[in-house]
Amino acid sequence: MEKITIPIGPQHPLLKEPLSLRINVSGEQVLGGDLRLGYVHRGIEKLAQTRNYVQNVHLVERICGICSHVHTTAYCHSVERLLGIEIPERAQFIRALLCELERIHSHLLWVGILAKHIGLDTIFMHTWHDREMVLDMMEELSGGRVSHAVNKIGGVRFDLDEKHGPMITKTIQKLHNEVEKLLDIITHEPTIKARTRGVAAITAEEIRQYGVVGPVARASGVDMDMRRDDPLPPYDRLDFSVITQTSGDAWARTVVRVEEVQESINLCEQILKKIPGGATETRARSRVPAGQVTTRAEAPRGELFYYLRSDGTDKPARLKIRTPTLPVLSILTKQLADIQVADIPVVLAGVDLCIACADR
Amino acid sequence: MAENKAKKILLSIKTEIGAPCQMLDDIQNESVLEIQKDHLREIVEFLLHNHQPIHLTTITADSMESDPNQIHIFYNFWKGEGFTLLTKLNQNDLELNSILDLIPGVDFYEREVAEMYGIHFANRENTPSLLLPDDWDQKPPMRSQVKE
Repeated sequence: MEKITIPIGPQHPLLKEPLSLRINVSGEQVLGGDLRLGYVHRGIEKLAQTRNYVQNVHLVERICGICSHVHTTAYCHSVERLLGIEIPERAQFIRALLCELERIHSHLLWVGILAKHIGLDTIFMHTWHDREMVLDMMEELSGGRVSHAVNKIGGVRFDLDEKHGPMITKTIQKLHNEVEKLLDIITHEPTIKARTRGVAAITAEEIRQYGVVGPVARASGVDMDMRRDDPLPPYDRLDFSVITQTSGDAWARTVVRVEEVQESINLCEQILKKIPGGATETRARSRVPAGQVTTRAEAPRGELFYYLRSDGTDKPARLKIRTPTLPVLSILTKQLADIQVADIPVVLAGVDLCIACADR
Repeated sequence: MAENKAKKILLSIKTEIGAPCQMLDDIQNESVLEIQKDHLREIVEFLLHNHQPIHLTTITADSMESDPNQIHIFYNFWKGEGFTLLTKLNQNDLELNSILDLIPGVDFYEREVAEMYGIHFANRENTPSLLLPDDWDQKPPMRSQVKE
């Protein structure tokens, strides 16, 4: 049968963000494809060299609308390492709390999108309703649903007060019950199994070859999580499990993410129990001593890498950001080979792409 | 400072391969091994054969004001802790061997470094534009601070 190339994007109803995909098909069989980024490239790394360290907190927060907080966490931690300061413990716990809330809403958003792509609009509505509870909570805490502006160099911008603890506890308890139901549906609902089991499976060996990280890697049995492997404080003082599956298919990726939501809920509870009193920030100089540093943080989509070099001025000489979507994208074209056309949305949704992150 | 694990890996490169290289402490929290660009593939092959599983986090390029005639290329690895291979390219010879056939996941990293710094990666088909427009005809944008 004749080979046809189908262009998808950069603007397409299937895509939430601009990405150009060219998919080769023969009848209903997908033969492979290629992709092109850059449609939301904002030159963040270049811009960072023209702004001072404080302004860059707000710049890196705008890399992504889903995981904005972990970007500022990794960036602030890099600057603080070069400054040789350690932020107060209370600030570390507040940063981690927001990181886990961000992970919960990112994973729930993803489960909803997957459900929508496979025609289960009811699950989509339920998960996005649950996600809304998290966004409301983040707004209550920080004043922002997307850009929270919680982090500053040397600590955090706000403190938890006496009404926050009970509010978070009540909401995450409710969320915990909802997520249990969701996991039960995902593991038992025949339509979800039929559409995700065995679809776009990636082996652990392929994960390693392509440097894939995060829930996609863990769904293939690659036990890697920077919260445990290279913990930013206070993760070294928190108890949690790294969730893995072995089948590496869209189903395993779904289960990993839902179980990670449960783990994040547990982490939020622990943080609220263990958070110490005291200050929420420490004084930080505006000029950063010359030096180079790297930081690895566990974003909702996996390992987030920052390289920062200071030349002793108040602006970074070089800021390199490798977001977790980039390695995931590198294996996407391989995943598109030997599947059916109807499975394309499941493959695209299954790896949880964030093009804004990849483009920067 | 980085702990012993990464240093041991880098020292094993020094002793087993015997290529000219030196340990640096450029990056505060990671061990760095500076290598000659001609030995890059040999060293990556050595790492893949002897230290699996190993994870290449990314490739970072940097043009330093203190070293304006060179572009520094960092291969940022992870094996329980971070470590880095550093190779320096002269401004008049910005060619580096690709490791795409050794680590398929390096494709986007090489393409990004190629277009942002004007590095040519040999031994691979091409490095089509990844982030910049197809009709970009100005100098590589991240090289602007280098005195040419």
